[in-house]
Amino acid sequence: MAQGKIVTAKEAVQKFIKPGTCLCVGGFSYTRRPMTLVREVVRQGIGDLFVTMNGGTAAEEILAANDLIRWLETTYVGLEGIQPVAHSIRRRIEDGSIELIEDYSNFGFAQRTVAARYGWPFAPLVSELGSDLLEYDVFGKAGLRGKNPDGSWKHPSIPPKKFHVIDDPFEGFGYRPHAFRGGDNVANQTANLKESLGSTKYTGKKGIKVVLVPPIMPEVTIIRAQRVGHEGTVRLEGIWGPDNEQAIAAKHLIVECERIVPEQELRIRPDQNHIAAHLVDAIVEQPFGGYPSAVPNYYDYDWDFWVNYGRINKGSKEAVRDYWRKMVVETADDWEFFFEKVGTDYQCKSGKKGFERLFELRADARYGYKPDLERPM
Amino acid sequence: MATHVSDQDYQAYCEARGLQPEADSYTMMELLAVAVAREISDGAFMFAGTGLPLLSSMLALHTVAPQATLILEAGIVGPTVEHLPISVSDPRGCHMGSTVTNMADTFGTTALRGFCSVGILGAAECDRYGNLNSTVIGHYWPGGVSEDGKGPKVRFAGSGGANNIATLADQTIVMMVMEKRRFPEKVQYMTSLAGNRGPEGETKADYGIARGGSCVMISDLCIMRNYPPEDNELKLERIYPGVALKDVLENVGWELHAVEGKRVTEKSRIPVMDPPTHEELKILRFVVDPERIYLGRKGKRELAK
Repeated sequence: MAQGKIVTAKEAVQKFIKPGTCLCVGGFSYTRRPMTLVREVVRQGIGDLFVTMNGGTAAEEILAANDLIRWLETTYVGLEGIQPVAHSIRRRIEDGSIELIEDYSNFGFAQRTVAARYGWPFAPLVSELGSDLLEYDVFGKAGLRGKNPDGSWKHPSIPPKKFHVIDDPFEGFGYRPHAFRGGDNVANQTANLKESLGSTKYTGKKGIKVVLVPPIMPEVTIIRAQRVGHEGTVRLEGIWGPDNEQAIAAKHLIVECERIVPEQELRIRPDQNHIAAHLVDAIVEQPFGGYPSAVPNYYDYDWDFWVNYGRINKGSKEAVRDYWRKMVVETADDWEFFFEKVGTDYQCKSGKKGFERLFELRADARYGYKPDLERPM
Repeated sequence: MATHVSDQDYQAYCEARGLQPEADSYTMMELLAVAVAREISDGAFMFAGTGLPLLSSMLALHTVAPQATLILEAGIVGPTVEHLPISVSDPRGCHMGSTVTNMADTFGTTALRGFCSVGILGAAECDRYGNLNSTVIGHYWPGGVSEDGKGPKVRFAGSGGANNIATLADQTIVMMVMEKRRFPEKVQYMTSLAGNRGPEGETKADYGIARGGSCVMISDLCIMRNYPPEDNELKLERIYPGVALKDVLENVGWELHAVEGKRVTEKSRIPVMDPPTHEELKILRFVVDPERIYLGRKGKRELAK
């Protein structure tokens, strides 16, 4: 029964996320993050997580602050305009309590998700070459790559190699610029195609180097969408981030949303939908659940929250955990969090709290965000 | 068409904000944004990272490069931004975009196909060839596989899209605070090849990369540039108004040379950058970052004063 997919955040997390799960958290930075499910993971205290991500870090910062991340596969751990490096993650990498971190680049990881989406054994990448991203293999050093004597993978979400470099078998045919808008002022100059054909690095043979990346294979991906059909059809509004791909990469997909709607509402315009219903394992409805990130066309990020939190997360680890305990762990669910906690941890200009504060963040229809959001540092 | 702002509006804005409207009242952040914007050619396809890089690219769109196309790697192509985004995925960055999709799409359709004219990045370390470190200081290994059970001394945000932009852009502009420890002979971790990796035998082409190699360093003291394929080392091109060469030399970890190849000393004659014009400052303040989210921040040197 399709309706069986509709569950509470509590049920979804209990069913799919266990200690040690390889978890991929959707959205990007401060946009469309599945915060309801993240908060529920924090409430249930599910730890030892292996988090794999492209473009953090607002949600991952919260998991790290609660000491729930053990391994991290990532491209970027900054909080952009608020904090150059997400402090809870940074200090745990430095002191060793996040045990392993494997670095990729954004495009490198994006290609991994593309490979995953389409079932490709690998995807090509012309990047990372010459850099240390190719030189360090953390999971390899930790002995997590490859197979057990019985032929099973040592870890179901860790590929046997981080990268593999080959010579372009097509000799740079596809590497040439494909003309679109030309002109002298658009550089469009592949200056050293000829020279790079002579490179013998990595492979020992002459040729243009291409890096192959393996697909990501997380056990669970969680994403947030604005609307989801009652059978699971997902429509993303605004930027997709990596979600269109990484949602399909996982064994299980949980989608949380502003509203569950009749399938017909989305299927009447199927060209505008992104994820087919049968790919979704669980649907969680939680209005405002993306808070304090932005959900395009619904509400903006809570700037005051993040500026304030960027100060809080520099306190002692215990103080930060205590903050989350009071804000989230002690609440029964997100309704209680919204009614009782939102806005109580900082002073915004209007002084509003709870749902009054959430309503204040609602997006303007023309912009999809709140154009007059005040953003004092 | 470059954007026009009336002097009257600008005056009123400055008064309300407590700013001096005169051109010589620029701050370090404003100077840096102007220096970067002037590097952008009209018609460029530019990838910009969050913060000052994005702000500078917006200034370019309103002044010298109205035909340029801004790309935010998270999935945004060709927006007309009205409110300064704080992230490459900020919904503000999507406003009036030509397309809004995903990361594989921005890098693929523009950068990998060979049309990323310019990338604008920041970093924690930059060496004499324009290699950037935005990952770690100290050893790289995390606690689970390191000798002492601890991770690196300092962990930064990591590559993000920096490695990809640096690898694939025809030209990379790097913005950094200039300090000796941040400008070493060799970076501790090579995150991004913004320049040409190294001298002959160690160039991008030697590593099989067929793109880019041109690098401009816009530090908070001076502008440095490389001249590939003949010369892959960053050369001192210009200093900012009021900057002494002594300060530049004290804050760089390699033997610095001028464009014509001579070693730079305190007595060298190095061109001085033209300060921001009234028009540039007006657009930057009134149009690009009126809330002063980034412009209101102080540079390290300003704080030290």
